[in-house]
Amino acid sequence: MSGLGSVTLTPQIEHSPLFSRPSVLVVDDEKRIRDVCIKMLSSEGYEADSAESAEIGMQMIKEKHFDIILMDLMMPGLPGLEALPQIRSQHPDTVVIVITGYASLEHAVEAMKKGAFDFIPKPFSPGDLRIVITKAVTQINTLQDIANEKSRMRVMINHLADGVMTTDNQKRIAQVNPAFLRMIGYHGPRPIGLEVAQIVPDETMSSMIDQTLGALEDDYIDVSEELCLEKTSLLARCVPFKDRLRRTLGTITVLHDITSQKEMDQVKSDFVSMVSHEIRSPMNSVLMQLKNVVDGLAGETTRKQREILGRASEKIVALINLVSELLDIAKIESGLIPQERRAVQIVDLLEEQVAFHQARAQAKSIRLNLEKNRITQVVNANRFNLEEVFSNIIGNAIDYTPEGGKISIRVSVEGDYIAVRVTDTGIGIPEDDLQRIFDRFYRVKNAKTRHILGTGLGLPIVKSIIDAHDGLIRVESKLDFGTTFSVLFPIPAQ
Amino acid sequence: MSEKKLIMVVDDDPDLVESVSMRLVNDGFRVAKAYDGEEAWERIREEKPQMLILDVMMPRKNGYVLCDEIKKNDQFKDITVVLLTAVADAVTSTNYTHRDGITNLADDFIPKPIDMDKLMDIVKDNLEYCS
Repeated sequence: MSGLGSVTLTPQIEHSPLFSRPSVLVVDDEKRIRDVCIKMLSSEGYEADSAESAEIGMQMIKEKHFDIILMDLMMPGLPGLEALPQIRSQHPDTVVIVITGYASLEHAVEAMKKGAFDFIPKPFSPGDLRIVITKAVTQINTLQDIANEKSRMRVMINHLADGVMTTDNQKRIAQVNPAFLRMIGYHGPRPIGLEVAQIVPDETMSSMIDQTLGALEDDYIDVSEELCLEKTSLLARCVPFKDRLRRTLGTITVLHDITSQKEMDQVKSDFVSMVSHEIRSPMNSVLMQLKNVVDGLAGETTRKQREILGRASEKIVALINLVSELLDIAKIESGLIPQERRAVQIVDLLEEQVAFHQARAQAKSIRLNLEKNRITQVVNANRFNLEEVFSNIIGNAIDYTPEGGKISIRVSVEGDYIAVRVTDTGIGIPEDDLQRIFDRFYRVKNAKTRHILGTGLGLPIVKSIIDAHDGLIRVESKLDFGTTFSVLFPIPAQ
Repeated sequence: MSEKKLIMVVDDDPDLVESVSMRLVNDGFRVAKAYDGEEAWERIREEKPQMLILDVMMPRKNGYVLCDEIKKNDQFKDITVVLLTAVADAVTSTNYTHRDGITNLADDFIPKPIDMDKLMDIVKDNLEYCS
């Protein structure tokens, strides 16, 4: 692994240098027991101190932190059982092991209730002592690991740019970072323990959390919604977190600020409609004015004049088409075309396309034929988009096939895809150009294509649409023999 | 021979209105003109045309909304409405039917750029033209 952070941090957490020598305080009024304990602990590498009464012990605890306290319960002066709660409240991280005289079980139970970690009955051997101390050290290390992990997690979450909120399964806030509070515009007191609805006025988030909490145990659920607050647009995602038995403990909601993305989309959208109206409309009316003149509505014209105006009209039409295609590609790429998708019977759609293009094909004596093949599978697609795809491909086939040629369209099911193949007997595409025909404004330029009008945007649009539908497009071509375009759309899973 | 039919042409581009009008007059119709949706409504009440050639994208009330209002008005619902749509608006126009409760009630559509001959066919078909 080449990651930096995790690799260098992990060992520090597991073997924190602080605990290379855990400190132990032995509190017992019997000198013999103190001496035995200190001797054994020192030889095992612990830092050991001792006190002969609870009062002295309490004093030492005030001055220094001990990881483990071994304490006799029966001592003159302050009894161990009374000292225990004080130690626990002042030093929650300290592990207390009580030494009980004469196997007094009641005292041991009482001490455990008051927060002792373990007990060791007198008399005990150094081996007995080693076992309880080792157990305590493991406990300390585990607690320390958890504390370090929590701290690391808190710092990480608090410094994320995205908003993060954790709730329990009653929709009460367990944890929330500053970014989250800033995004929802909350300026009140610390919201831990409040219900989500108390700090987020928008009901969407609350219902997202309900939905997440209501999911079945084994379901993986990930609820996403866009939230529109006053000035900001947020993308919210809500997921559950579970215990080892896969019971939902609560939810985590992550907020991502998409305001500027939304604004960009709006700018693009405005630009597209501006271009559409301000450029296309005047060209349309120029075209009509020319037509009126050509048709003699504005008085007699000479043949030469009509010819010139006719050519001017063709140029205008080409410009209008170019603008339309530029707009199409801009819309597809910025996701502005509403992608309303339905089940489309592709054979029906192709029949309509063939009927539509038949007149142009016949004008060039080209046989345009759809092979009858009943395919019952449908594709999930935007019908208008599909029409554009096949209109482009069939239109190209007609443009690039010489008079008397043939264009055949076949539909078949190939694995999980419906495949449409449009094969022509046209001029073919040179191998060098094959790689580039889907590039914008790229047109195959040679003596044979010089007279064919086009913008170089048809196939890029086709490809964008197919990509957006998770489909594939392939092209095979042999110069002077013809070209086959294969379009594959995935069949939706039942 | 009946009285000449009155057709109103509505578009915010005066040159387009002029070109279409010229053609209509040439083919024996009377023409009224308006340049935005609100103005069109006023002129419709005054002149009661038989047909409306109506642009979709216009200031002060767009063509869809105006068409919807006419078709829901008992006095004017019999006016034939032909909408002028830009090609790229084909998606928008189907989409429009789902928005704001506006249903598309136009009698016919013709895409821009306008094919004048096709427009005249539509006009004559819809008005059962007899000369």
